Amino acid sequence: MSDTIEMVDKLLTDLKKVGGVIACAAASRDGLLIRAIMQKEQIVESLAAMSATMLGAAETATTHVEMGIPTRVIVESDHGKLIVVGAGPKALLILLTSPDVGLGLILLELDKSAKKLKEILT
Amino acid sequence: MIETGIPKLDKFLGGGIPRGKSLVYYSQPGVEGEIFGLQTVYGTLKTGGTCVFVVSSTIPDIVKGQFDEFGWDISSFKDKLFFVDSYNPLIGAPSNEKYVVSNPDKIEDFHKTIMDIIKELPPSTIVFGSLSTIMDLCGEKETIEAVRTWNKMAMLYDHTIVYNFTAWPYSDETLNLIKGDLFNSIISIGGIAERVIFGQYFGIMKSDWAEVSRKSMLFRVLRPGGIKIFIPKILVTGPFDAGKSTFVHALSTRAISVDRLGTTVAMDHGHVEYKGFSADIFGTPGQERFDPIIKLLSGESMGVFLIVDSTNPSDFIRAKHMLDITKSYGLPYVVVANKQDLPGALTPEEIREQFHLPEDIPIVRAVAKDKIGVYEAFEVLLDRVTGGI
Repeated sequence: MSDTIEMVDKLLTDLKKVGGVIACAAASRDGLLIRAIMQKEQIVESLAAMSATMLGAAETATTHVEMGIPTRVIVESDHGKLIVVGAGPKALLILLTSPDVGLGLILLELDKSAKKLKEILT
Repeated sequence: MIETGIPKLDKFLGGGIPRGKSLVYYSQPGVEGEIFGLQTVYGTLKTGGTCVFVVSSTIPDIVKGQFDEFGWDISSFKDKLFFVDSYNPLIGAPSNEKYVVSNPDKIEDFHKTIMDIIKELPPSTIVFGSLSTIMDLCGEKETIEAVRTWNKMAMLYDHTIVYNFTAWPYSDETLNLIKGDLFNSIISIGGIAERVIFGQYFGIMKSDWAEVSRKSMLFRVLRPGGIKIFIPKILVTGPFDAGKSTFVHALSTRAISVDRLGTTVAMDHGHVEYKGFSADIFGTPGQERFDPIIKLLSGESMGVFLIVDSTNPSDFIRAKHMLDITKSYGLPYVVVANKQDLPGALTPEEIREQFHLPEDIPIVRAVAKDKIGVYEAFEVLLDRVTGGI
């Protein structure tokens, strides 16, 4: 058990190092928090639940109009961006960035991390 | 009988640890097992007992700081709590404690100090902060022999003796003895990574005074607060306008909802801290068009609240259907008969009849908006989730 947690922590620590990333977390598809690197700890569990809902709702919506499964959900606001990607059938990754950051590198790293998380959890 | 102060564990043990008995908290490496000993110290003090804490892996002042971290004020128990310092002498520092083991790497010295305490003090709870550390310093065989004697002496002098032990890779012989007949009771503490639930659990491996239940409890450690039974997910579901969100907010220490135009469109999420329990509550939307989301969120639940509007029996069919959607059959569930304050509200008996609910499913009367009945419902469900012991 401690091994898996260590691996997830390492993955999140690496992801957090990418420029512009403020916080990141791994959660299950059904909204339970796995691990997080985030300042405000109290809100992490709610964020995990909400992010799972958003991704789930997005997948349901696009599948219904035959658009297939979305690659990711990006929410933009004046104060930052929230990105949610699926990481295999069990988990998802949540990322918060500062508002003015370019997404190119971040999305690349996020997709890589998502693939790794999928591997870790199988 | 002394209380460990750890929720559910005292109940499992039939009230606590009787005088004269020994108990070991047997932890896998990497889990927060040492807190069990610490919480037992505080549990003893709080119920008026005397306590000795044998500090082996750090200086006593740091341990005192740990009590503070958990929000346990030990300053008022100065004449009831004694520390045995077996760390400062090791690093050559002076000690301010009444009891000091002058050579902590010699079991003879340890033995002498512990024997003195056993004979000197009135019946107390003696807690070893880390038996593994003593073993590392003094040798496995030697330590086990000493422990055997201490346990017998504790029995004679009516002390309760408790050890924290971390199962590092010691010899099989040592581990088997510790898991075998060396102690009257063994509490095993471990970690799981089952599906996506990462957590720590404890369970009773052995106890010669209480009937052993095979059930394990998930726990988390809160600062302040200490060990809390952890329930990762409780689902709140029910038909449209039954009061699910109101219920989540009434029950939760903190909660958020995604409401639009007066109805829940995504979910409610709440966190409850109550009587030693820590639980996360997920409320589903009630309207049928959101059913796909409900399916997504309902996995891994450990129990379900089914909220119904007591004045609206026509919705009961939908309520049953929702149990089906959430795949809740087989999980423990409690029916919350909400809106009991309104005229025409059905009684639980009438609801049971119209709903065709089996006799063993509890129905709790509630007025969620006034927080009436919500904690009762929570306790009933917790009892079911944790096996009702």
